[in-house]
Amino acid sequence: MAETAITAPLDPLEPRHLVAPHHDDASLNETLLAHVWAKPGKGWFMLFGVTLSALGLLVIGVTYTLARGIGVWGNNQPVGWAFDIINFVWWVGIGHAGTLISAILLLFQQKWRTSINRFAEAMTLFAVMCAGLFPLLHTGRPWFAFWLFPYPSTLGAWPQFRSPLVWDVFAISTYLTVSALFWYVGLIPDLAALRDSSKTKVQRVVYGLFSLGWRGSGRHWHNYKIAYLLLAGISTPLVVSVHTIVSFDFAVSLIPGWHTTVFPPYFVAGAVFSGFAMVITLIVPARKYLGLRDVITDRHLENMNKVILATGMLVSYGYMMEHFVAWYSQNQYELWTFYVNRATGPYAGVYWLMIACNVITPNIFWFKKCRTSIPIMWVASIMVNIGMWCERFIIIVTSLSQDFLPSSWAIYTPTWVDWCIYIGTLGLFGTLFLLFLKFVPAVAVSEVKELQLELKHAAHLNGHGTHGAH
Amino acid sequence: MEATVLDSWVLAEFGTPDALVDATRQMREKGFQGMDTYSPYPLHGGSEALGLPPSRVPFIALGGALTGMCTALAMQTWMNTYDYPLNIGGRPLLSLPAWVPITFELSVLFAAFGIFFGLLALSRLPQPYHPVFESDAFRSASTHGYWLSVPQATGQDATAVMDQLKSLGATQVTLVTGEKE
Repeated sequence: MAETAITAPLDPLEPRHLVAPHHDDASLNETLLAHVWAKPGKGWFMLFGVTLSALGLLVIGVTYTLARGIGVWGNNQPVGWAFDIINFVWWVGIGHAGTLISAILLLFQQKWRTSINRFAEAMTLFAVMCAGLFPLLHTGRPWFAFWLFPYPSTLGAWPQFRSPLVWDVFAISTYLTVSALFWYVGLIPDLAALRDSSKTKVQRVVYGLFSLGWRGSGRHWHNYKIAYLLLAGISTPLVVSVHTIVSFDFAVSLIPGWHTTVFPPYFVAGAVFSGFAMVITLIVPARKYLGLRDVITDRHLENMNKVILATGMLVSYGYMMEHFVAWYSQNQYELWTFYVNRATGPYAGVYWLMIACNVITPNIFWFKKCRTSIPIMWVASIMVNIGMWCERFIIIVTSLSQDFLPSSWAIYTPTWVDWCIYIGTLGLFGTLFLLFLKFVPAVAVSEVKELQLELKHAAHLNGHGTHGAH
Repeated sequence: MEATVLDSWVLAEFGTPDALVDATRQMREKGFQGMDTYSPYPLHGGSEALGLPPSRVPFIALGGALTGMCTALAMQTWMNTYDYPLNIGGRPLLSLPAWVPITFELSVLFAAFGIFFGLLALSRLPQPYHPVFESDAFRSASTHGYWLSVPQATGQDATAVMDQLKSLGATQVTLVTGEKE
């Protein structure tokens, strides 16, 4: 049933299309599912080879760590937390953009989220998996990781619930579970669409199993709509709570540079900042490769860059506040940490790289030209990711390596095992992501179809001089 | 062997979501019961046209959240205050503010389980087989088709219903029969 293209003028405040106007349901279905049915191209296999090799490094790093113990890492006294916690916080932060896009933007009825939410949610799921690996390995004997949970042990001991580290266990496992449920619930109608447009029996059976027999029934949609909205509603405070709790790991301690009340909001802003940057890093090549330019338009990219700009400013404010409070308190340890050690100490290079990437780089997005230029935004997004990694490095390593007593100071240097595991998680993330792009629609097809109908209604009304519909 | 109970449905496809919602409303006004719509995305006004009562998912979610909250509070209090009291810097054994993060997390977790399993239970999913799948054309319901099903007593003449659906603008009408769900 071909429908006529939008002919009415677009809203002057929103001059670009959210969905290219020449589509109807059937053509959207075809376009958005095409990459699942198509055989993956050379590019996909090449990338998959790269990520698989990186995953191999993870296997090597983890095996070596398990065989020899965590002494093979660069961690020492006093730097007891290093790559393991840096990467944990970095990955969790990246995950947060996914929930933000799918949940918070849904609640604010930001229609532009529809084309990118599936993508971002998948990113969340995989990033949290990578994050979880680090504290697990850091326990030293991950096969006893169940000790972290309250279970009736023969020793009669229970976890100490006043410790932020125990809060972390609950926060991260809840976050992983809820993200997975949210992602899967959103996926069910699209899995049914895959089942019904499948070409072989195997495809039909496999997608049929995962779609649970979804048939788009009105009675099901009736419950589904509210269930999806509620999941978004509970994910919103969840995402804020998760990074708040992660920041408590630091803020509750007495280490100079950690013991500040600005940590929770500043960590959440940093998480969103790095997460959106990661979405840009991944979506720019993916939309080209998957042919999704009609639904992930330049407007989506520009909006995300605006979010990067806003959260970048929040992060810069966080840095300013840290330095201000250190000065205002006149505490000699705080003063040392912020004005001497971080800016001029042994890790000053990382510190200034962090400032360049996190404070200076996002400012280019004040200019429309930079917000809409694909190469500029892609490079900037990578710089933001580097900057946010440096931030976690600075927070953790500078504060621990030089705290109160100069006699117990020590320099930290990562070993090859640290790098193997870190690069390995990038490989794990990339591998999972490529598999996701191959087997599942990267865009929420049913939501885009609904959006397209709404846009047509709205355009129709606009054409008659009335503004806004639904 | 148990006798197989058969159910029949008249399936009608409509060209646009609005036509489907309109037809559903008119059929319901004519007194047809137990109808269902099928569409690739939720229809605006679809629930009202079918005359569905408000969804029970929010109550299940609330139940989940309350269960999580009570579980977390009871667990932390019993474990850290009574069963295994630890003196941490002289802080009270019942430190309610410190219980807050886990209480919140478990409330969210249980609410999410409630929503997910509540949705599946209310929709009677997973259900890989349903008689509507007997029609090959019906496969468009998840991609670009808008369908209406009207229950029909097996073995009775469905021509009248089919004619009514056609007059409401159905582009194709079929009768399917399958095992009762």
